[in-house]
Amino acid sequence: MKLKNSWTLAIKALKKNKLQTALTMTGMTIGVATVLTMIALGSGAQTAIQDQVRSAGMNLILVTAGNYQMKQDKPADEGIEPAAYLRQPHKATLQTATYNPHQKARFVLAFHPEDDPMAIHDHPTSRQRLGDSEAGLGAAATLTIGDANEIRKIKGVQYVSEGIHENAHVTFGDTRWFTRMHGDDVSQPLIRRAWTFPHGRYFNKGEEKRAESVVVLGQIVSEKLFGTNNPVGKTVSIWKQPFKVVGVIGSGSWMLQPAPGDDQFDAIYMPVTTVQKLLNLSKLNDITITTESTGDVTRVSKEITELVRKRHNIGATMADDFTVTSQARKALQGGGMRPDVSAAVTGNVSGLEKITLSQLGKTLDRASETMTALLTSIAAVSLLVGGIGIMNIMLLSVSQRTREIGIRRAIGARSKDVLTQFLFEAATLSVIGGMLGIAIGCFASGFISKLVQWSTNISLPAILISFTISAAIGIFFGYYPARQASQVLPIESLKHE
Amino acid sequence: MSSVISIRNLTKTYQMGDIAVHALRSVSLEIAEGEFLSVIGPSGSGKSTLMHILGCLDQPTSGQYFLNGRDVSHLSDDEISRVRNQQIGFVFQGFNLLTRTSALENVELPLLYDTSSDIPASERKARAMAALESVGLKGREHHHPNQLSGGQQQRVAIARALLNNPTLLLADEPTGNLDSRTSVEVMNIFQKLKDERGITIVLITHEHDVAAYGSRIVHVKDGQILSDEPNESRRMAHGELAQMAPAGRTA
Repeated sequence: MKLKNSWTLAIKALKKNKLQTALTMTGMTIGVATVLTMIALGSGAQTAIQDQVRSAGMNLILVTAGNYQMKQDKPADEGIEPAAYLRQPHKATLQTATYNPHQKARFVLAFHPEDDPMAIHDHPTSRQRLGDSEAGLGAAATLTIGDANEIRKIKGVQYVSEGIHENAHVTFGDTRWFTRMHGDDVSQPLIRRAWTFPHGRYFNKGEEKRAESVVVLGQIVSEKLFGTNNPVGKTVSIWKQPFKVVGVIGSGSWMLQPAPGDDQFDAIYMPVTTVQKLLNLSKLNDITITTESTGDVTRVSKEITELVRKRHNIGATMADDFTVTSQARKALQGGGMRPDVSAAVTGNVSGLEKITLSQLGKTLDRASETMTALLTSIAAVSLLVGGIGIMNIMLLSVSQRTREIGIRRAIGARSKDVLTQFLFEAATLSVIGGMLGIAIGCFASGFISKLVQWSTNISLPAILISFTISAAIGIFFGYYPARQASQVLPIESLKHE
Repeated sequence: MSSVISIRNLTKTYQMGDIAVHALRSVSLEIAEGEFLSVIGPSGSGKSTLMHILGCLDQPTSGQYFLNGRDVSHLSDDEISRVRNQQIGFVFQGFNLLTRTSALENVELPLLYDTSSDIPASERKARAMAALESVGLKGREHHHPNQLSGGQQQRVAIARALLNNPTLLLADEPTGNLDSRTSVEVMNIFQKLKDERGITIVLITHEHDVAAYGSRIVHVKDGQILSDEPNESRRMAHGELAQMAPAGRTA
């Protein structure tokens, strides 16, 4: 017999016993709805924890061009300290290294004239050429988009954004504003997290790929040039070039208020490719990386260091021509501490990131994993109850329908036909029940997150898993009753009243 | 005439705890094509066991059973189910229709279990409708068994039994639950099937006046055949119906 016919028979049988069908299905529905809600709550909590850690920038890694680095007294372990490759026998307190593939010798300078912020130069300083990111003698622009693309392939890396930073005059009509200009990747808003778009959007992949002349204004820039008007669609002029405004960036966090000169909202953003084309550059100032897990920062930093060293053909005894920094180190350096003190701390405490990040990150990850596991096991129990409900009803149904089975057998149903029919009935019950459960689960978790402000997270895999489990339970718990049904002897069942 | 059924030294023994119950003791029987055989005997005589074995619902303890020349006494479940589906039609005392299922759906059931061919739903419906029409139930195809009278239910069962054009129709006390007029109506259908379509019919009953519609009567008692002879004084249902006072459609 064709499976289609078994299906037809199963559906007809279920329609015959509507109340029973509805009750059994309800059991399954509740089971699946519970599973989905629990997974949603669990992974919501996990995401919330990770979000908090990440918004503190704990998963951020910054690779900057050039190497301007405190010499460490103690050698760093596991090579995550960029200076680990540069072992000098003598103790210099301040050291600058340049990278030059044609020249093997290194300059060791105590001070560079351009490092004095008060000095007035008659030539464009490296600070002006490349922005102030780690400008100095070591600040050679050595990073490329190719480096960034390779970093994207490292396991555990979440987002990668190339960065070129310059100062620029933005002009609209008669109004002019001097601000920071960032050439970035489309993933920048995902890295920043706390951004909102009061108008328009960020530039997209296509615009980045085609290096289009589009610009996203920070809120301060937008206010200075357009007041309260919506600038989206207007054309501003940067370096006498027309740029189309596609969006305005505002702050999504009360902790981060836009202020003039803040480098984030008093700034303009455009695709890194556009900036490279416009300024005829092929190098980057820096690459910003986030990791998927906070616990991975140390490992990813190390891999990035190795990767970039390899790509830049840096021999084992030569210094890096780039610097890998993670947010913890940065926070320590910028945390209101006197620069010399923080330099001493970061320079001398080896494996600092390892202690703070690995341990904190892994502890948090583990805590949320435990929570998810707990919720999932509760949910699994409710699914089991749903499954046993199906088995119970199907077994009851087999004994109730013994006569019906006998009639079918007399008419020519093989025992495998009876088996298939009962299996299909159970599977239909659980699958339809499961789908209802998914709907209710989505609704319930939305309701919970509205009502008690818990974050919930319903992912497609969670839905697929719930659906698969419900179908599997139907078949698993439906098999025994179906087998019982198929083994009923035709003559016995016909005698049955 | 060729034998539709040929059974040789058929025995069936049930084990009831320590006691062995001999339902059939070495029964041999030949039934030719187009015969209307009545098996008569008191309850416990083994006639129901005989019918179950003839209908491939049960298997003999020993002996051979040839149906249309093929030994069907020890076939696999798949094969025996196919034999039941294709070659045998059942009519029972209790009608054995699926409850809460329309007459039409009951009748088309054998086609759903037909492994040999994939019959589209429209054709299944058409054939079931034709079968219902042939037993005089046109217009009642969407009635459920509990909306039909006993006679009508039995006619639905007959339509179902005939749907796959079986060579053998097995009827187990088909009139047991029916009044005398509808009993005669059912017998009339059987006799017409025998005369017009040449279907072999085996009728199991304990009533002599019902057995009298058959062309041959076999007496069974204590698991053995007592007598086996042609029925000289055959009752003709068609004539009896004509003589009866016309009654209402619902019996």
